[in-house]
Amino acid sequence: MRSRYLITRILQAVLVVAITYLLTYWVLFALPGDPVANRLDNPQNPIPPGQAKAIIEYYNLDQPALLQFLITVGRLAQGDLGYSLGTGRAVSDMVMQGLGSTLLLALAALVVAAVIATGVGLLAVFAPWGPVRSLARLVPSLSLATPSFLIGLLLLQIFSYQLGWVSSLDTESLTSLVLPALTLGIAASPSITQVLIQGLTEANGRPFVRVLRSRGLSHGAIATRHVVRNGSIPALTLLALTIADLIAGSVIVESVFHRAGLGYVTEQAVRSQDGPIVLAVVLLVSSLYSLINLATDLLYPVIDPRISITESRLGASSPSSRSTRPAQPTLTEGA
Amino acid sequence: MMSILTPTAPPTRRPPPRTTRGPVSRARSSRARSSRGPTSLGIVDIAAMLLLALLVIAVLTPSLLAPGDPLGTATVQALDGPSLTHWLGTDYLGRDLYTRIVHGARTSLSASAVAVAVGLAGGLALGIVSGYLGGWVDAVVSRLIDVLLSVPGLLLSMVIIVALGFGAINAAIAVGISSIASFARVTRAEVLTVRTSSYVEAAQHQGSSRWRTLIHHILPNAVGPVASLIPLQFGGSIVWISSLSFLGFGAVPPHPEWGLLVAEGRQYLLSAPWLLLAPGAVIVITVLAASHLQGVLGRIRRTTA
Repeated sequence: MRSRYLITRILQAVLVVAITYLLTYWVLFALPGDPVANRLDNPQNPIPPGQAKAIIEYYNLDQPALLQFLITVGRLAQGDLGYSLGTGRAVSDMVMQGLGSTLLLALAALVVAAVIATGVGLLAVFAPWGPVRSLARLVPSLSLATPSFLIGLLLLQIFSYQLGWVSSLDTESLTSLVLPALTLGIAASPSITQVLIQGLTEANGRPFVRVLRSRGLSHGAIATRHVVRNGSIPALTLLALTIADLIAGSVIVESVFHRAGLGYVTEQAVRSQDGPIVLAVVLLVSSLYSLINLATDLLYPVIDPRISITESRLGASSPSSRSTRPAQPTLTEGA
Repeated sequence: MMSILTPTAPPTRRPPPRTTRGPVSRARSSRARSSRGPTSLGIVDIAAMLLLALLVIAVLTPSLLAPGDPLGTATVQALDGPSLTHWLGTDYLGRDLYTRIVHGARTSLSASAVAVAVGLAGGLALGIVSGYLGGWVDAVVSRLIDVLLSVPGLLLSMVIIVALGFGAINAAIAVGISSIASFARVTRAEVLTVRTSSYVEAAQHQGSSRWRTLIHHILPNAVGPVASLIPLQFGGSIVWISSLSFLGFGAVPPHPEWGLLVAEGRQYLLSAPWLLLAPGAVIVITVLAASHLQGVLGRIRRTTA
């Protein structure tokens, strides 16, 4: 049973990535306004006829659209992502070059988001003083309403220009990572915080809490040993899935802090309508998302033994009919 | 932003059918919290509505609130701080920032409205089709929603912008398409719940056709929770569209737009911080007001339901 479920889920994940690739390709290349053709026809920046001929041949622009797509997929299978229309460099080189710095940024931001969500979530549910709880519940709404570029510029203004703690010019050292990671982490935190607050509140209202209290356990012990363990699983899922969002979000953060990572490469690609690069970034992020999604689904029974993959759930897309999946977070939750 | 980057789509995959856990538990907790009558309005509620009313005026007739010319330059008074004549100061060309923010509301808010309309229309269509027809249609649409969810909203918007080209309307359409998934998910879940309810069964026994059942019984009962998503999505769209404008993919200068105003202000972070703070604060307050309105509407809906 388990292996059948496993295979179904893996196939589903592969299917989602494949459809994503197909649709993105279609939107970028097959619709009228093909970026390759646009680039060739651009009167302001003419491409020499010899080079144009090479580009036409490489992308098979003289062939029917379906054949073009099949050739592209064939190259993809060999690990060839094509060439950038803007710079002429190999797409895989450009993506790989930026990926390291952006992954580092995303991981640091993930830590920031986890710390914020945990802190605010615990305050919102367990703080002994009512106003603190209400205030903590307002934090996610506020950070959700603040665009990340604004957070970044404000941090830059305060810590770089006013206090002079971090140089705004330095983009290499580890300290230069602090402000961008804070920005990205703050921007990513609200939905995780909301789901955590929801999960903890729900777990805190379960009968077992009353039983534990009647047996004389302290509030702290109940909170850390029982409520958090029961109520944080949906938030953990969301946290893992946030990595894809963080990479997309790096477009804005890297623009604010002038960092040269994948976000910068993507921004430049969008600016110059560089289809092959955008397609590669979408493929990368979508694969990452699907992989993490798959991993969390398969890890549920390990993390939470109450969830088992049974025959009846084989048809469903995930073993998550219970409260494992985050419910729709809202801006006004608790506000 | 980005819920970061994705205020719109918390990456839940398929919602478990027939449960409305989220809304229900929320309803319960907020009813327990508010000891005052659920329909009575507090100061914050009224302030939020007043602000939104002002914004509607700014969209319809901006010159009523700011009679000046948003594009009128006067280099003599460039980068003046806030004063009585220029409430929020002036920018590097001496243009009055207050006037530009008021006139920018039209671009920013109408773009968000377009985005919500696109997301709502697409999401309703997909959600109804998959929830009502079920079977292989549901399987196909659910995979499509999975696909939309597997690409972060900001990235998806940028893909669409590459295809459509830059501009405020294109950015709005792109953000709208990125928010289809969240509307579709809620619609589908609601249609599934309503479809199996006893009154729908009763209507079918009385010979109501599929189409009639859908229009007269399922839609009116399923549309409420979907509609209550609108203010939230509207706020999220403001953030996204301003982000796209900030990157330079949305509205085109010198036309005022909120995200663009922040982008212009970033050059003067040290010498004229108000150029960044004022439009930034307007974005935050507007989104907060919109999300607060969502809470108020939810309260009213629950008491009248």
